[in-house]
Amino acid sequence: MHDAGPGRVARRKLATAKGDSTPPPGPLRGPTSPASGEVKKPVAYADPEPSAFASMLGGLIDANIETSRAKHRDFDELDASVGIWVTDIDEGVTLEFQRGTLVVHNGLTPKRDITIRAEADTVMSLSNLKIGMFGMPVYYDEVGRGVALKLVRGRLRIDGMLGNIATVNTVTRIFSVR
Amino acid sequence: MAVKAFSSEWAEQFKDEVNASSVYKSAAKGWKWTVGLVVEAEPDKKFPESRGVVMDLFDGTARAITVGTAADAQKCDFVITAPYTRWKQVATKELDATKGMLQGKLKLKGDLPTIVRYTKASQEMTECTTRVPVEWPDEN
Repeated sequence: MHDAGPGRVARRKLATAKGDSTPPPGPLRGPTSPASGEVKKPVAYADPEPSAFASMLGGLIDANIETSRAKHRDFDELDASVGIWVTDIDEGVTLEFQRGTLVVHNGLTPKRDITIRAEADTVMSLSNLKIGMFGMPVYYDEVGRGVALKLVRGRLRIDGMLGNIATVNTVTRIFSVR
Repeated sequence: MAVKAFSSEWAEQFKDEVNASSVYKSAAKGWKWTVGLVVEAEPDKKFPESRGVVMDLFDGTARAITVGTAADAQKCDFVITAPYTRWKQVATKELDATKGMLQGKLKLKGDLPTIVRYTKASQEMTECTTRVPVEWPDEN
């Protein structure tokens, strides 16, 4: 297991958060300046060619916050850099939450608050965790037990979890489709 | 008996496998959307024309699975597109479909939260394809 730079990227162009295919120069293509008068999109991609994994996660979070007021509230409050590394495909992303906007980077960027490392299946399970009382992820149903077991067995690692439990829970809520 | 890949006979056997799966039945409870698989042509692999597999899936059962054109499959609520070789890798367990999607080897179109919610069902559906004995055109 290792950190990675941008790594491999999908060989396809993806529409930007603004919906155009000719991005302006600069690292950020999604959120627009309030002065421009354009609608500000919450999710943007740092790389000119977001990887398939980056666009999937970005798309998932975008859809989640659009359909859930509670998730949107979490999204508006979260200020953290979260890495997700999928160990069996050697690909990852960094989610840079900036209180109401998210920039998705291909690969792991430096200075992350937490980094989740797991196999593809486990990453999908994380996004299937139910959210229970007080916004806590549910670890006692089938999906939750599976995730907890992987955490215990070291097949799911969350670097930086100690001291960032609240961030882990908030990210899980935003990430979950439940 | 082995059937030709992505033929009507294959679709019929695939449907039977899906409907025989208790795992799929329970994991796909509540699913009510059509799924299209676009199998892109690879003439050098003796798969000269793209085909579309249209799956009418409802609440844990496969009501119909048919093979037509790629355009037929593209009309579905969810569309997964990949070249013939990739689908062959999925059907022979060389490529895990979830990993394939995360890597962009299989391209998915459709509502992401819904497909993520039914990950287990889609994994079982992939398992069902592996149970159908297939005659691959590039192996003859």
